[in-house]
Amino acid sequence: MDKNMKILVVDDFSTMRRIVKNLLRDLGFNNTHEADDGLTALPMLKTGNFDFLVTDWNMPGMQGIDLLKAVRADEKIKTLPVLMVTAESKREQIIEAAQAGVNGYIVKPFTAGTLSEKLNKIFERIES
Amino acid sequence: MKLSNDADIKQTITRVKDLLNHLENDQIEDAEKVLEDFSIKDNGDLFSEIGKLTRNLHEALSSFNLDSKITDIAASEIPSAKDRLNYVIERTEEAANQTMDMVENCSRMADTLSSDSQELLVEWQKLYKRELAAGEFRKLCKRIESHFKKSTKTSDDLHKALSDVLLAQSYQDLTGQAIKEVISLVHEVEESMVNIIKVFGDMDKYHEAKGKVVKRKEAEGPIVNKDKRDDVVNGQDEVDDLLSSLGF
Repeated sequence: MDKNMKILVVDDFSTMRRIVKNLLRDLGFNNTHEADDGLTALPMLKTGNFDFLVTDWNMPGMQGIDLLKAVRADEKIKTLPVLMVTAESKREQIIEAAQAGVNGYIVKPFTAGTLSEKLNKIFERIES
Repeated sequence: MKLSNDADIKQTITRVKDLLNHLENDQIEDAEKVLEDFSIKDNGDLFSEIGKLTRNLHEALSSFNLDSKITDIAASEIPSAKDRLNYVIERTEEAANQTMDMVENCSRMADTLSSDSQELLVEWQKLYKRELAAGEFRKLCKRIESHFKKSTKTSDDLHKALSDVLLAQSYQDLTGQAIKEVISLVHEVEESMVNIIKVFGDMDKYHEAKGKVVKRKEAEGPIVNKDKRDDVVNGQDEVDDLLSSLGF
């Protein structure tokens, strides 16, 4: 796993973005960027050469699930690995995210261990 | 005129017969008296019905008066509840940021302490391996002394930062009080609404709706009544199980 990979963290709460960025830094990832909803994130993703997307679900503007679908629908960025970190815990939502092609799903509140485990799993699969 | 039981009917028959008798015998005054009796009795029933209606109307109005509280609630208490909730968002955000500032400071201090100790340890081990020149030993002693001083200072700073983290948690008390106020307002609004339903609506429908758990289709943030819901997962393990059952 390339520790210099470019990561976009999307959440409407700045505290949550900060928590995720801090946890990623502890795991050795320093090349992290932020957006506060799908509408700001999507143009960044389209032009920014990101390697990984961590997104919340429930956000004003464009929700995380719609961002995921927009990414999968865009020829240039459709293979981007996406990890959802969200408080949404309805079974049908988790299934919807899986069907939309999410690579990992973490429910809030979560631990540093869970984040690290899911990251490893996602990149093991991609690299294998 | 009531004809609701046998006694009423018998009494009415007797009176009608009396009336006919009086009329046939040209006893006009007596006939008029019988008619008068009839109408007084009718009015009596009418008056008691009006009385009942007035009482009901009075009750309805007074319970509606009770809900003139609603005006106060809408005009000032709800706006102040919104202020209170905004206050909660601000205080929790501030506390979270303060805490994270301090935690980041502490992490940096711990990192510096650790890397300084690592470096010194390497030098110290050279001493055992007799790789240290005589002049370097003096330098090492100086560095160790300054490391001890620095460690003491860093430990004090860490301690101070940690008690700041502790203090930042006082948001819980402040926001807790603000939220309790809002909860009691919501309770008041609920009571007023139930009163209105009692007077103008359907209490049966109210009781029927009370037991229902409202399920929303869209994103709804953290689920606060998980024990009443059967459509949500409980924690990360259940998410993982669900995803692996889908072949993830």
